Amino acid sequence: MKIVNIAWRNVFRHTRRTIITAAAISVGLSSMIFMNTMMNGADKMASRNIIDFETSHMEIFAEGYYREEGVFPLDTIVENVAFVVDEVTKIAGVKEITRRVKFQASISDGIDELPVLGMGVDIENDNRIFRIRESVVAGTYLQGEGDVLIGENLASDMALDVGSYITIITKDRNGTYNAYDLTVTGIINTGHPLFDRNMAIIPITQAQDLLALGPGVTEICVLASDENRLEPLKARISQAIGNDYEVLTWKEMNAAIFEISGFKRAGQFMIALVVVIIAAVGIVNTMLMAVMERIPEIGTLKAMGFSNTGIVKMFIYEGGIIGIFGSLLGCLFGLLVSMYLVHVGLDFSSVFENMDIVYPMKFIIKGEIDYLNLLFVFLFGVFVSVVVSLWPVRRATRLEAVDALRHV
Amino acid sequence: MVEAIDLHKDYKIGKVLFPALRGIDIKIANGEFTAIAGPSGSGKTTLLNIIGCLDVPTKGKILIDGTNVNELGSKDKANLRKNKIGFVFQTFNLIPVLTAYENIEIPLILLDVEQGKRKQKIVELLEEVGLGEYIDRRPNEMSGGQQQRVAIARALVKEPSMVLADEPTANLDSTTAKEILALMQELNGKHGTTFIFSTHDQLVMDYSRRTVSLRDGKIVDDKTKPRGH
Ligand SMILES: Nc1ncnc2c1ncn2[C@@H]1O[C@H](COP(=O)(O)OP(=O)(O)OP(=O)(O)O)[C@@H](O)[C@H]1O
Ligand SMILES: [Mg+2]
Repeated sequence: MKIVNIAWRNVFRHTRRTIITAAAISVGLSSMIFMNTMMNGADKMASRNIIDFETSHMEIFAEGYYREEGVFPLDTIVENVAFVVDEVTKIAGVKEITRRVKFQASISDGIDELPVLGMGVDIENDNRIFRIRESVVAGTYLQGEGDVLIGENLASDMALDVGSYITIITKDRNGTYNAYDLTVTGIINTGHPLFDRNMAIIPITQAQDLLALGPGVTEICVLASDENRLEPLKARISQAIGNDYEVLTWKEMNAAIFEISGFKRAGQFMIALVVVIIAAVGIVNTMLMAVMERIPEIGTLKAMGFSNTGIVKMFIYEGGIIGIFGSLLGCLFGLLVSMYLVHVGLDFSSVFENMDIVYPMKFIIKGEIDYLNLLFVFLFGVFVSVVVSLWPVRRATRLEAVDALRHV
Repeated sequence: MVEAIDLHKDYKIGKVLFPALRGIDIKIANGEFTAIAGPSGSGKTTLLNIIGCLDVPTKGKILIDGTNVNELGSKDKANLRKNKIGFVFQTFNLIPVLTAYENIEIPLILLDVEQGKRKQKIVELLEEVGLGEYIDRRPNEMSGGQQQRVAIARALVKEPSMVLADEPTANLDSTTAKEILALMQELNGKHGTTFIFSTHDQLVMDYSRRTVSLRDGKIVDDKTKPRGH
């Protein structure tokens, strides 16, 4: 208590050290907060895009289909759709359900031919789960067979517009090539690169026709009423429909992306670490200088009856007080920047324009503040500044009082 | 009461041992006003530091009020200094960022004296050393003599049983030195605090009742003037 008083006074008298140190801490912390907000925002947007356009909460496949992910095999599809839909509809916690067919295809405007991912959607039901209809920026949503929706980027790559004719070419499940002429009825901008660049969306009936699937579909998408309790729902569905089917949640299907995200977090952590180390080196330096110029003072205090512990305590309190100030400042600044990120966001369009990225999100990243992280960062800042002030003072207290006094 | 018995101190300079104190035996009673005199290098500072528990002897004992200081751990020594010993340094050693008031306050904070009482004592003592108006000055806003008065106030504020002053007037002009000595003498008379100070200045010796002369780490003379001188 008493030493805290002395330390408190010292913090405000040694202004230069206080300002430099607190500034270093606050810059370090605010950049940590900034990065965290960005990463959270990016991940949240990616998750949103996946759920809203790609997978919904979970999907049901024929057993074995998903293991050949990316190949879209037409020989392991859900054949008994009526059974699955019936069973799943009865399960509590299922909010919506729809069918989709995904297939490899290419589209041609008569001159160029581009590989795309074809997708057949249930015109009635799809929009209860997915947000494709809301993403139409020109023309209209699918009206019926013969219509195709394409992404904005694909449209501009192939110089297509609403009303343009294209041919979709694919191989059906028997290995026969089929081609259909389609009219571009609408252009979508989802913010999900897969949809905006590589996708041709047609009515499901037409897809089934084109691929000779009969009533079969490649997947059945399920929207849960509670997105935080997907595992129990998944278990109930699996049990109801049996072993011929495989149920996967959106998280399981996108493990790779969240692994990337894990890498990014590791990267973020490394960057943060470097920032903190730089800040810490700065602090150690200032502290070391401060302690050095105060060695005679330390000698004097010892002569007055301060024990080594008392001296160390005094410097720890000083470090702690500076740490609290710097961390508060850093958190405040970080929060301000984060708020900007949440409301305005950062535009990365120019950076990613020519890159073929798979991370499913828009190029304007909006932040997402993690308050728990904020608290952690605050405590971390205080901790670092205490630890960092410990080392110089330990050196100083190793001097005998006489030697400290002689040190001029 | 301070008692030194066969005190030796060797400094290691490289591989050579240099004997700075070579068998000091001395008793200083409570309330004495004693000068340790001697030429530069005779061991005055070394002796005072050992008496003040800032340094340890190579051989011999220091007894303070009967306690063998050598046997104390560093914490107990710190406590002893905190409770019983006040220091005055040649270079004043005030803490530069603190005001006169705050400098004097530190020993009291260490002793857990409560704030109201601290204030009363400090103000009183500052008056006593003639610095009533300098209460909020920082060391660099005061003359050497004024700083030394603050240092004396700081040493005395906790009412220690002894004050050790290493060449307290060496950095002061003779007029100021006289004032400081007169002040210390006055405080010695008033509070009964033991004062032990080192000097190689004849002026200082004139003020002291007892003068212990050192030469090459040994006591060569120990004179006490008759009372009333
Ligand atoms: N830390 C040290 N290391 C080595 N030698 C020392 C050390 N301190 C003092 N000495 C030596 O011990 C002897 C006594 O020194 P001390 O400082 O006690 O003398 P002093 O009487 O106080 O002198 P002065 O009047 O100059 O202050 C000197 O010869 C000095 O060189
Ligand atoms: Mg000396």
